[in-house]
Amino acid sequence: MRDVAVLGVGMYRFGMYYDVSNATMAREAGMAALRDAGLSFRDVNAAYVGHIFAQVMSGVRVMKEFGLTGIPVQRIENASATGSAAFREACLQVAAGHADVVMVLGFDKMTTMIQQSTQGTAPENMEDAILPAGFFALWATRRMHERGMKAEHLAKIAAKNFNNGALNPMAQRQADTFITPEKVLGARMVAWPLTTMMSCPMGDGAACAIVGRADLAKKLRPDRPVVRVTASDLQSEKYARGHLFMGPVVGPAQMTIDTSKNVYEEAGVGPSDLDLVQVHDAFAIEELEYYELLGLCKVGEAEKCIEQGDFERDGRVAVSTDGGLIARGHPGGPTGLAQIWETTLQLRGEAGKRQVENARIGLCHMMGGGSVCVIHILQRD
Amino acid sequence: MTTATRPRVPIKPGYFTIPDDPGLPPKLLGTKCQDCGEHYFPRRAICARPECLSEKTSDVELGPRGTLYSYTFVHLPLFGSSNLEHAEGYGVGQVDLPEGPRVQLPLAGKQGEFRIGQTLEAELNTLREDGGSDIVIVRFRPVEAGR
Ligand SMILES: [Zn+2]
Repeated sequence: MRDVAVLGVGMYRFGMYYDVSNATMAREAGMAALRDAGLSFRDVNAAYVGHIFAQVMSGVRVMKEFGLTGIPVQRIENASATGSAAFREACLQVAAGHADVVMVLGFDKMTTMIQQSTQGTAPENMEDAILPAGFFALWATRRMHERGMKAEHLAKIAAKNFNNGALNPMAQRQADTFITPEKVLGARMVAWPLTTMMSCPMGDGAACAIVGRADLAKKLRPDRPVVRVTASDLQSEKYARGHLFMGPVVGPAQMTIDTSKNVYEEAGVGPSDLDLVQVHDAFAIEELEYYELLGLCKVGEAEKCIEQGDFERDGRVAVSTDGGLIARGHPGGPTGLAQIWETTLQLRGEAGKRQVENARIGLCHMMGGGSVCVIHILQRD
Repeated sequence: MTTATRPRVPIKPGYFTIPDDPGLPPKLLGTKCQDCGEHYFPRRAICARPECLSEKTSDVELGPRGTLYSYTFVHLPLFGSSNLEHAEGYGVGQVDLPEGPRVQLPLAGKQGEFRIGQTLEAELNTLREDGGSDIVIVRFRPVEAGR
């Protein structure tokens, strides 16, 4: 990725907002990002909108909130990886020289889905017979069988993420006491061995990133470090034995391995250079698997590394520093951009109580419906 | 296995057979690639292997027995635990068929009855009634020793 920087970031805190519209959340996150960049909407050359549960023309509709300046607007959708995929398109635009400043705006409202849901009592299709929690639980059960993983390992990951989230004012779930693995294990069972506290919540929210030419970053905000996007890759699933063709699939492992290999090569860094990592931890088993698939630890050693506290905020490499999907929340479209928000603040040294000391290089990883993997590497100059 | 008194209708056509004899297990409807020999479930027109991508595919029946690769019990009421099993959650599993494909479907039985590597057999499970018919889906049940 040539000379692309994150100029600004903004968020509308993830939560349950029955009375707040998508347009309001998106506008506030977008204006926050513009203010953070030191720009006005007049300076934006193009916009990408990440929105999953979309009406027709929902990209253009929400951009009207900011003003009618004639810029190209496109909506990108890739399930949970929607915001990350939109961010990638914006970076490519800048890298290609088509635009100097691009807005990437993600928003979604799962409370609307809950209200509209009929709470059916039977699947309508073969594909409907298993819930997402079930897919990931199947991954966990297999890991228990193959590697001796225990529910306690997953509980430790979730507890870490809750405690990180408690330091993040934008996080949806704010624990008022220190969360222990025992508390996570004692929560209601969703799909054995995953409890509610090992699973991300439903929610609403918005997040925005302004990306642009790296030299602009220096000009606009000479007071702070430039955060560059040094690598971006997106891959879809590739056939392997054991691939599931019916319904959504769960993270074909090779897809994350291949995507991360590409970004490490593009950025010229290795996993041991990373100071912080955000992963798709919709369920705690995912975070555990991604430690290995992203090369943060050797295959088969995730359990040992969790026991050692390697991925805590003050550990070898901090993972899910903002609380991850589990505590920060996962409304859909904005989630990947919330990762960019967190990583950008961390690399600027502006992450407050959850700041990772001297953070220089961060990685953001999202999965879309198990079938798409998007990874970015951000680096401070 | 009880005798079916009403006609049985698949939840979606083209995924599995409904044997005339209610005592017989259903078979899954899949595809075999004529060029590389790979099998798929559900049916598809083009082989998915990147090195093959052949359009020479044909319909085959798969199963009805397979090996349990992984399983879980889902405790959310959405989609109806009562329809798929009992109040202690309903089982779902990944089953490796002898022909090759791994399938992901509901399981029949209680949590303690499952262990990875065991042999399971497909059966039809009534999800609901519709007019005079039973709407059925496939699920897998552990094959008891000696059965
Ligand atoms: Zn083939």
